[in-house]
Amino acid sequence: MKVGIISFAHMHAYSYATCLKQLDNVELVAVADDNPLRVTEAAKQFGCAYYSDYRELLATDVDAVVVCTENAKHADVVVDAAKAGKHVLCEKPIATTLDDAHRMIDACREHGVILQIAFPVRFNTPMRRVKQMIDEGQLGRIVAMRGTNRGQNPGGWFVQKELSGGGAVLDHTVHVIDIMRWYLNSEVKEVYAEVDTRFSDIACDDCGLLMLEFENGVIASHDPSWSRSETFPTWGDVTLEIVGTQGVTRVDAFAQHLTVYSDLDNKVKHDFWGDEMDLGLVADFISCVREGRTPSITGEDGLRALQVALAAYESARLRKPVRL
Amino acid sequence: MLNVVVVGAGTMGTVHAEAYQRMTQARLVAVVDIREDVGTALADRYGARHYLRLEDALLQEDVQVVDVCVPTYLHRGYVEQAARAKKHVICEKPIALTAEDANAMMEVCAREGVRLLIGHVVRFFPEYQRAHHLVQLGAVGPVGTVRTFRGGAFPIAWNDWYASADKSGTLITDLCIHDFDFLRWTFGEVARVYAKSLWKQAFNRMDHALVSLRFSSGVIAHVEGTWAAPSGFRTAFEIAGTGGIIQHASDEATSIHTDLRASESGTTGVAVPESPLVKSPYQVELEHFIDCLITGHTPLVTAEDAYEALRISLAALQSVQTGEPVFLREGLQ
Repeated sequence: MKVGIISFAHMHAYSYATCLKQLDNVELVAVADDNPLRVTEAAKQFGCAYYSDYRELLATDVDAVVVCTENAKHADVVVDAAKAGKHVLCEKPIATTLDDAHRMIDACREHGVILQIAFPVRFNTPMRRVKQMIDEGQLGRIVAMRGTNRGQNPGGWFVQKELSGGGAVLDHTVHVIDIMRWYLNSEVKEVYAEVDTRFSDIACDDCGLLMLEFENGVIASHDPSWSRSETFPTWGDVTLEIVGTQGVTRVDAFAQHLTVYSDLDNKVKHDFWGDEMDLGLVADFISCVREGRTPSITGEDGLRALQVALAAYESARLRKPVRL
Repeated sequence: MLNVVVVGAGTMGTVHAEAYQRMTQARLVAVVDIREDVGTALADRYGARHYLRLEDALLQEDVQVVDVCVPTYLHRGYVEQAARAKKHVICEKPIALTAEDANAMMEVCAREGVRLLIGHVVRFFPEYQRAHHLVQLGAVGPVGTVRTFRGGAFPIAWNDWYASADKSGTLITDLCIHDFDFLRWTFGEVARVYAKSLWKQAFNRMDHALVSLRFSSGVIAHVEGTWAAPSGFRTAFEIAGTGGIIQHASDEATSIHTDLRASESGTTGVAVPESPLVKSPYQVELEHFIDCLITGHTPLVTAEDAYEALRISLAALQSVQTGEPVFLREGLQ
């Protein structure tokens, strides 16, 4: 199977490329990026062809593409890929507006290609284990959840709203909302949120707090803030606490780490030794394409998570809860 | 030397009685409890006398301080009785279940010229004091977001009073109020409150609360409280500023981890975590309160602070019921 990567604007593209290189019977044949330096270096690093215009890549015989452009550009690229008959693995968030997300989903359906959204946390081994515990009923009926996905301000286009669609609240809400939906098999009914810029001098939000209620009555909260300091030992976290009638569990996607006290870097650092979740995501996408089955994470999943993040912004603006 | 009568020989009454026993400035002279067996047992342990009714203790003992450790819904009655007898009052948190009761308690103490000190003991826990101090020093720069956690298993007590909202005021009023007080102490007044909890859902003796607080300073805080865990109790907080992060997790700050082998006599093996201090925070709190009564100094936590913490709890409960945010103060956009 031949795969191409469109844009390295989102740094996850490098990880996905590395994963593609590890898979059997999959070839990363080309990369495309409108940034000339970035695309030549990526092509050299991964040993493949490169194009400055992604439409040239779509004109080749690749079977599938991984889209890691700036968020606001996802829609046009994915629609073009669908029209070219290429299956798509698209970086999260699916898009920056609901209209764009619908456009992407419709185009992929119309042209019979797979659209999978990159929510790799679904392939984090501890997260999958908790999903299994919940499905087996070990925790009883789930009644409450608490999530965090903190991080650091990534800078660059991430803090330019016209390209990113929003700051921390968009960037770091969608992963955990996706996991909550996956765990509960229920949709978010209502969102209340506080959103602000309190950590960096930037023109978009860098912190917030979401308060949620699901259709099945489960209450939840989520912290998507870019609140990790420079000296924090790792980039951030993904954690969930699940309260059930038969028990409580807390899961930390990145607890499997060494702690390194480095005089050389003058820093304390976590060195992760758990399973590589991006590999699970990419392998799953490739097998979906190969077997022609419905992806495990659909465009609809991407849309639902986006809806919650956009509702959070609306709630903060209106200073009241927003029903979905 | 101040003579103290402790009212209520339950969990907190026992902790307080033990603290007075170790103090040079105060002496436990009487224990009041409507239960003869429990009251007598506690009184005997510390060489005090037991009374079934506070009025009898006040008539027969020379006391200057009444320490109210009964369930919250009974606070007002005992506090009023003590104040009218011109006794200083120490009262467990929360001050009361309603603003009306809290006001009445503060008014009667002011009118009778006695002090009212509310046991918001978290201000006397060294980890919380250190964090407060570090924030005041600007150790992590201006603060952006704060998270607190407190809870564990559902508390088992006399008459199962924690299970009744009419008696304990629910998890939010009984437990989360600790963090509301700590946060208000450290970050100032709260502008708005939004909360979700399991209160009034079909759960007997199980509650979990998620509370969003927005401070007038702009700080965004998340307060989580639970009575939903099968076992244990723990606390945690995190304060994130532009220049760093302060973290606390009680289960990680445990200084002694002992694992005892099952003995031949049949006792089972048990793991015992300990984090000992020379003086418990309850001891520090009560010594401070007694000192304030002797010197007239303003306590670290006032009745007004307790009242404000209750207001935050009541706002959170209101939000749980209405599904809407509650605006305590204007000014923050």
